[in-house]
Amino acid sequence: MTDEAILRVKDLRTYFNTDEGVVKAVDGVSFELHKGETLGIVGESGSGKSVTNLSIMNMIPNPPGKIVGGEVLFGERDLLKMPLREIREIRGNKISMIFQDPMTSLNPFLRISTQMMETIILHQGLDKKAAKAKAIEMLALAGIPAPQKRIDCYPHQFSGGMRQRVMIAMSLSCNPEILIADEPTSALDVTIQAQILDLMKDLTARLGTAVILITHSLGVVAGTCDTLCVMYAGRVVERGDTEDIFASPKHPYTRGLIKSVPRLDIASEGRLSSIRGQPPNVIDLPECCPFYPRCDQAMDVCKKKYPERRDFGNDHSAACWLYSEAK
Amino acid sequence: MKFPKVRSLRIGGKADAELNEFAQSMKPVSLWADAWRRLRKNKMALAGLFIVAFYVAAVLLAPILPIYHYEDQVISHANLPPSLRPAGEVMLETRVAYMRKMMKAESRTSFNAKEEADIEAMKADIKVNPDHKRVYVMGTDNLGRDLLSRTIYGGRISIMIGLVGTITATLVGILLGSIAGYTGGKIDNFIMRFVDILYGLPYMLVVIIMMAIFGKNVINLFVAIALVSWLTLARVVRGQVMSLKNAEFIEAARSMGASPARIVFRHLTPNTLGVIVVFATLLVPDFIMSESFLSFLGLGVSAPLASWGSLVSEGTATMELYPWQLLVPAISMTLFLFAMNFLGDGLRDALDPQSKNRA
Amino acid sequence: MSDSNVLLDVRALKMHFPFGGGLLGGQKGVIHAVDGVDFAINSGETLGIVGESGCGKSTTARAIAQLYKPTSGEVVLNGEDLTKLSPRKLIEARKNMQMVFQDPYASLNPRMTAGDIIAEPLRIYMARGLLQMSRKETDERVELLMEKVGLSRFFKNRYPHEFSGGQRQRIGIARALALRPSLMLCDEPVSALDVSIQAQILNLFKDLQEEFGLTYLFIAHDLAVIQYISTRVAVMYLGIIAEISGSADLYKNPLHPYTQALLSAAPIPDPAIEKKRKRIILTGDVPSPDKERTGCYFYDRCWKRMDKCAQCVPKLKEVGPGHKVACFLYHDPD
Repeated sequence: MTDEAILRVKDLRTYFNTDEGVVKAVDGVSFELHKGETLGIVGESGSGKSVTNLSIMNMIPNPPGKIVGGEVLFGERDLLKMPLREIREIRGNKISMIFQDPMTSLNPFLRISTQMMETIILHQGLDKKAAKAKAIEMLALAGIPAPQKRIDCYPHQFSGGMRQRVMIAMSLSCNPEILIADEPTSALDVTIQAQILDLMKDLTARLGTAVILITHSLGVVAGTCDTLCVMYAGRVVERGDTEDIFASPKHPYTRGLIKSVPRLDIASEGRLSSIRGQPPNVIDLPECCPFYPRCDQAMDVCKKKYPERRDFGNDHSAACWLYSEAK
Repeated sequence: MKFPKVRSLRIGGKADAELNEFAQSMKPVSLWADAWRRLRKNKMALAGLFIVAFYVAAVLLAPILPIYHYEDQVISHANLPPSLRPAGEVMLETRVAYMRKMMKAESRTSFNAKEEADIEAMKADIKVNPDHKRVYVMGTDNLGRDLLSRTIYGGRISIMIGLVGTITATLVGILLGSIAGYTGGKIDNFIMRFVDILYGLPYMLVVIIMMAIFGKNVINLFVAIALVSWLTLARVVRGQVMSLKNAEFIEAARSMGASPARIVFRHLTPNTLGVIVVFATLLVPDFIMSESFLSFLGLGVSAPLASWGSLVSEGTATMELYPWQLLVPAISMTLFLFAMNFLGDGLRDALDPQSKNRA
Repeated sequence: MSDSNVLLDVRALKMHFPFGGGLLGGQKGVIHAVDGVDFAINSGETLGIVGESGCGKSTTARAIAQLYKPTSGEVVLNGEDLTKLSPRKLIEARKNMQMVFQDPYASLNPRMTAGDIIAEPLRIYMARGLLQMSRKETDERVELLMEKVGLSRFFKNRYPHEFSGGQRQRIGIARALALRPSLMLCDEPVSALDVSIQAQILNLFKDLQEEFGLTYLFIAHDLAVIQYISTRVAVMYLGIIAEISGSADLYKNPLHPYTQALLSAAPIPDPAIEKKRKRIILTGDVPSPDKERTGCYFYDRCWKRMDKCAQCVPKLKEVGPGHKVACFLYHDPD
């Protein structure tokens, strides 16, 4: 893993205007992605992880959403300020996405060949025959048996796991620099999930693709991600190397989250440690640390201001008043 | 299993309530209140609502409104145009204008003695007869009856037919649709084939034949129309019930031993009400149009009762000479139908179940 | 395992769904959703059922609850075979057996208040003349239940869409408790919840079990959750039980190859461990239960298969104290 950051997100803010008020879905998110790295974004519902993902590719529906601030630097260029035409050249080509539900991310009316060739022809300028050959090659790489025959099938003729493989093949067919995977295995069974994660690790290592993996599962993150961002109520509350964070979680939310996941390898007696309360309602969130009502170590200052970020070395940082001298 | 007394709550209780304050909105908001809020934002629908409310108020309050009785005839006031001036003046004007036309046709330049005498008689009568002080804001018909009052009373009949017909059709439609949708199988088949057959009947023909056989009065009219209007609603309800009956909360009710009747009426129907309300508001114009068509054909209400349809029918006969006799009832009816349609559209959007059911 | 304490005894339960056909065509085939399931649950314990999609675990729960009429087999609750009861008697028996569902959004009637939803079982039984309660008693019971599951009773008049997912699930649990059942069938009750809420609800389940002496049939697809909540675990595959044993034993000593593959595939939230793990990656997809099978159901994907596995179906046999497995690696075909 080299030091060049190919994607730098700085203070990204995406707000939605709804009937009930302003939803600050993403409220100051910053992180960096390096070449070949797998970055995990972990959060629960309402944390803003999916919106962050869509914001990077400037795919927020407007109205009601709007990216109101921040930069997304891909190389030297800010994706948020690019004209639509240029962004389209990047989508699917330099930055690819796969989504959670393989049932709905493929067009049920088109054959797989049509859908895959569309991307390849668009971005790589190959003719039909060459594009089809490339598509078949990618399907084989993704572990689809008899790809020359199956490429002409329709999506409903594939199972869930197979469809996800097709999605992976499609998204990697233009050899992108970054693959953004939004909960790619949440809808899959455990044994299939293991297959798909294995495949992703293998292919992205071979092609040198950097990956942003969005998930709610700490287990998946522990097994696949090099670095990690933990999100809560639209902000990154802790980030750093996966091993560092699991070994020594700094933010009370991260700690609580890790402790509350039941573990296969440790027989737990008694009660599970849990975080009390509900996920936050991000409509018209006041100026405070959004985690304070659920935090065992909340202090007065937590109710008044959002905490400053504190660095713990090795790129591990957390935003919490517990670590801030200034109160 | 005993239910022990409440111990100190480890599980949440007060602390949880506080957290819930922070995390959730405070006011209980039922799905109806939510729909109302959305309806309010839709300007067209609101306008429709106000217009409909205005009409309903007008026809309900008709007996106490300061309007003339719809049967009141003043022959000398026949065919007067709408005006804010007293009827006497208007009558005088129209007569004089008419006499001038006759004069021109006969190539005369002044009134003859008889005409002069008539005019003087009219003027005298106007001073004496209190009837001539009446104001006919919408003009009169060929028997000197106030068109405004006839339109209002006509609206009464039309709207009543619309509402009562819709309510009946809705109840029958819900009943048969729910039974068909929930039980499925042979009963469903039977009911739906019955619906299909009724759909296939040439509706107007059937109604006309029925009116011819059983006589023309409001009751028969209403029965004839209601007989086939429940069909679409039954189909719609059936569709809704079928899609909902496998929902988990219905499974939960079944697992608790709820009887099918309870499931249909306590659990399924309230969840289909949204769609039903929308369809029902669109049925009302349907009924009114059918009734007015029948009345237009002469098969609807009979004199001296009026309905919008019969008024339009009468007005068509004289529309070249006295256009207001057609325009007033026609525009009134059209405005009401538009308003109902906008309201129905707005309701459909406001009650859309897709919206904010997910927290 | 002593027999005297058995609350629920399921014997040779089968649930087959015919498909295909219609007006003209005949039946095209049968889905063997549940294809011969045997187990017994003792009073006060929790049997966890784990498996992937298509294994039949949800169908098993619904067949036990008599939401589907079992194709064959017996479901004996408190000594009565539910499959043979008259409708009237079945409703009486249901008092003792209630269900908690998976989807907190779909399992509550969106047009009823929380209080009404929780009171509904009471009202149903009152309408049938099987329960006598005054209005005041009903209200009190509802408020008590709400406090037991951790909801403020002031939310009695709120509608489901005003609650979060975890709170809705609490309402569902309160509803299931209303009739004071002895057996609770829980169909993936935490699968749709956030991780931090999941822990709260699992704790709630345990607390309620302790307080009220409940017996659970707990279904989930997450192995770690099942391990935490269950005393015994059954692993299902394609409609049959592949392995059943005490919870700790199953995780320390999985016998059936499928169990081993499942455990190996399940992610563990610890990067140090994950890096060192050797995964058993199964080939192929989770098959669908629409074929008649002459051999072991797991034959196609098993890396330890032998010839005899294709020839007859292994039965569930006891190979250790309380540990049963259906695999010819551990016992011979009859």
